[in-house]
Amino acid sequence: MATFEIFLKKDGRDEFRHVGALDAANDELALISARECYVRRAEGDRLWVVRRDNILSPDRDFTAPNADKPHRHHSGEAVAARRKALREMIEAQTDE
Amino acid sequence: MSEISRAARDVILAFVDDEHLMGQQHTEWIGVAPFLEEDLAFASIGQDELGHAAMLLEALVGSDDADIDALAFYREASDWRSCALAEITLPEWGDTLVRHWLYDAAEELRWQLFQGSSVQLLADISVRALSEEQFHRRHGNALLDVLLCVDDARDRIMASLHKLLPVALTMFDGAPGEANAIVEGVVSGSLASLQGDWQLRVDDRFGPVDWDAVDSDGVATPAPSQRTQRHDDFAPLLARMLEVLDLDRTVTW
Repeated sequence: MATFEIFLKKDGRDEFRHVGALDAANDELALISARECYVRRAEGDRLWVVRRDNILSPDRDFTAPNADKPHRHHSGEAVAARRKALREMIEAQTDE
Repeated sequence: MSEISRAARDVILAFVDDEHLMGQQHTEWIGVAPFLEEDLAFASIGQDELGHAAMLLEALVGSDDADIDALAFYREASDWRSCALAEITLPEWGDTLVRHWLYDAAEELRWQLFQGSSVQLLADISVRALSEEQFHRRHGNALLDVLLCVDDARDRIMASLHKLLPVALTMFDGAPGEANAIVEGVVSGSLASLQGDWQLRVDDRFGPVDWDAVDSDGVATPAPSQRTQRHDDFAPLLARMLEVLDLDRTVTW
């Protein structure tokens, strides 16, 4: 038996989303089981069935260092705050 | 439902009863199938078979639930037209899987008899049913593809096959009105006419069967009776089917 991860996509521009996993003896049984276990109520109209073995998944150390890089966040808040401060300073100088 | 003749009713009822009982047999594995994924898959197939029975019942009596229940559940045993393969109790999963395959291999051929039916509603139902049957057959084949390659499993599957083949032949016993239904164009052929193609499917799937040597030492097999005789397992099966319904026949579930 192998474990398969199941992804579904609804019609339109929705992306594929992970919906669960199942065990199956081979690819054909995985497809059949996925159809019956995850789309039996037409929850989606496109199906990806992926062997878990085929998913590349590095350990957590591979991604952990990037948790400490706030300068890569670009929410725009800091820039907006600086622009606002600058605008107010210019307006204050103009008034003088 | 005036367009349904008595002969048509006979052949439809034979199909209704087989589908109804097979659906019931499948659903009795809910919660106890060998593994969770199979539990769900087999339940879906059972639901489909019950759905086929419901569509055919509606063709016979209209959409009133009480009329459908009366025909589906409350007939004398001698008025049922099911075959023994659909009636027998099979507590072993291997037997159940083989029955599933044998039945669906024939069921697909049976629906093809309705494809050009003079009763348009039956032709329409056959289109939907055939689209579902291809998945039922794919399911059975996928499991057998795996199991027939493992020595122990293959031995058990082949033992089930030889036990069930005689009783499976009861599927090809036609109901009393069948000949007239063919004349009327309700179906394009008899159940017996399907047996040759079905046997080829069995040979192709399991290896050549010595059809002349198929005998009934496995499961007690009733003689052809135009589906008027019931197997001993029928009465307890029907009792299980009525167990909840009989709590209150008037209630709407």
